[in-house]
Amino acid sequence: MKKLILLFVLFVSVKSISQNKQLLYNFTAVPQSLMTNPGSDVKYKFYFGIPLLSGISANVGSSGFSAYDLFANNGIDFNVKLRDVVFSTTRKDRAAINEQIELFSGGFRIKGGQDQYDSYVSFGMYQEFDFLSYMPKDHAILALEGNKGYLGKVFDLGDLNVKAEMLTALHIGYHKNINERLTVGFRGKIYSSIFNASSTKNSGYIYTIPSNVNMYEQVIYSNLQLNTSGIAKYDDQNYDGEVAKDIKSRALFGGNLGLGFDAGLTYYPKKNIQFTASIVDVGFIKHTKEVENLTYKGYYKYEGINPKFNGESSGGNVYQEFKDAIQLDTLNAKYTTWRPAKFNSSIQYSFKEERATDCNCTDYNSETIYKSAVGAQLFVMSTPRIPLIAFTTYYRRKIFNALQMKATYTIDSYSFKNIGLGLSSNFGPVNFYILADNLLEYRDVAKANSLSFQFGLNIIFKDKEASN
Amino acid sequence: MKRVSFNRIFLLLIISLFTFSCSSDLDFNQANNLKLEPVFVANLAYFEIPAHEFVTNGNDQNLTVGSPTVDVFNDAFFKKHLTRAELSFELINTINREYTLDIILQDRNNQPLYKINFNIPAYTGLANPITKTEKFENSKLDLLKRTTKMTFVLRMLPGAALTENSSGNLKLRSDVTAHLIVQ
Repeated sequence: MKKLILLFVLFVSVKSISQNKQLLYNFTAVPQSLMTNPGSDVKYKFYFGIPLLSGISANVGSSGFSAYDLFANNGIDFNVKLRDVVFSTTRKDRAAINEQIELFSGGFRIKGGQDQYDSYVSFGMYQEFDFLSYMPKDHAILALEGNKGYLGKVFDLGDLNVKAEMLTALHIGYHKNINERLTVGFRGKIYSSIFNASSTKNSGYIYTIPSNVNMYEQVIYSNLQLNTSGIAKYDDQNYDGEVAKDIKSRALFGGNLGLGFDAGLTYYPKKNIQFTASIVDVGFIKHTKEVENLTYKGYYKYEGINPKFNGESSGGNVYQEFKDAIQLDTLNAKYTTWRPAKFNSSIQYSFKEERATDCNCTDYNSETIYKSAVGAQLFVMSTPRIPLIAFTTYYRRKIFNALQMKATYTIDSYSFKNIGLGLSSNFGPVNFYILADNLLEYRDVAKANSLSFQFGLNIIFKDKEASN
Repeated sequence: MKRVSFNRIFLLLIISLFTFSCSSDLDFNQANNLKLEPVFVANLAYFEIPAHEFVTNGNDQNLTVGSPTVDVFNDAFFKKHLTRAELSFELINTINREYTLDIILQDRNNQPLYKINFNIPAYTGLANPITKTEKFENSKLDLLKRTTKMTFVLRMLPGAALTENSSGNLKLRSDVTAHLIVQ
């Protein structure tokens, strides 16, 4: 079973841009697109997601190497493959996992007055797991090779940069058509952290340089810290609680809490031209309960043993001196983590107008009056190092009234061949959607370092005039 | 008609996607074969004794002994993972006297385990570094892993008397190359 999970995790992999939901963004046939832009031009009378099935997304992967590079059953020794991976990647490469499941979701319309446009409320709760680790390249080289072949090289201890978090978020959003051209939206979120581990502000170095006095000048400066919350007590052998109970309690706001918001807009400068922008997950979590910080900090210059011949104590407890100079400490200090903030923007040109000449269409929603659209999107996400940037072009088409499609082509700093496809169907009020990207990688999923998918089931009720 | 052709192409695309999808054979159990074989170098011992330090109250001091503690080799991590070690020494004498140096590895009961011996000729104006590398493997390595103290016995052999103003010094530099296997 474990193997199956690992396989699943490795196969369903997306590279660095793990949280770029370029297919879902502005795909207004799917209400979940409100989660990528609370100002999306989504229209409904009311909708609800099928609990636990309305939004399931997973993406896992790594840049610089694939599961095949490490685990191919090709007769080559694992250690040889591991070395190849370590030496072919850089400290900028990373492994990322992101998984999200909507626990429940729903929304309803507040009918506008006579001169007022409609406004919409949407709400829900989701569970999310995030993992991001950069390649700890210098640590890996030290572990694989040691320092003998690297005299003069300064090993950067800051290469260690990893974070993992599981949380739930309860959210409520509101979007309103200000006028026929502009929709704005806002969403407030309360995060409840189930557990967190982050070690993202590390620094330090190790070097060995040939010297005249003794053989080498050897220095270690270490400033490493791992912050955890909600984990430490499971390490205790005397722990006799129930993990499942703990998780449930923390998921329902018994954990470390945080606040965040999303904001966004949709604007039509012309009827067939649409501009959107959003900022998502601007928020933080304050970790105050069950907090444990492990620190490994200090400076040690190692010179070797210096025997004293004049009767003085020769000392020589160098290993003890080293352990005293750079100590492993456990603290219980509160800390704050920031959620990875995401910025999205798009511009879209719609064509093939479909409405009947006698239509008294009052809204600008491109899906109801245009059959096809092309557009471009920009995605930026904050990370512990430089932000991730992705650029997407897309084609959207209504195949039947009941079936909409969005095809994307995305480039980022790691891939220039990411093609994705999303489908959203409406049979009566039942909305089913499935989105998958990096389709070219399906030729051999083991060699893929990037795939992601998302699917879900909603019940959507629209006004008759809006559902055409 | 146009719509039908688009949809056909679309359907074909979806079908081909699933038809051509496959996965190479992977074996995740390989991770159990992980074996790290790093080689580390580090300083071992060093000293630099100027000629005048061999003179006490105007007389040569012929025997000096230093016994520093060595707490690395018998550490649990090294005991488990150290598979080979080389101790390398370099001695440079610029004093016009001949010396011998014995480095004795001792266990926690001060019992000698292993002795490394150097004969250091007097300086006659030409640089004459003495180097020696001792390899510790197998049973010899076990001696190193029991070492908790190194005693340096430095003897100055008879020769022209040194004074407070004599020049030169006796210098030792040494390092250890540790071959580890972690699996």
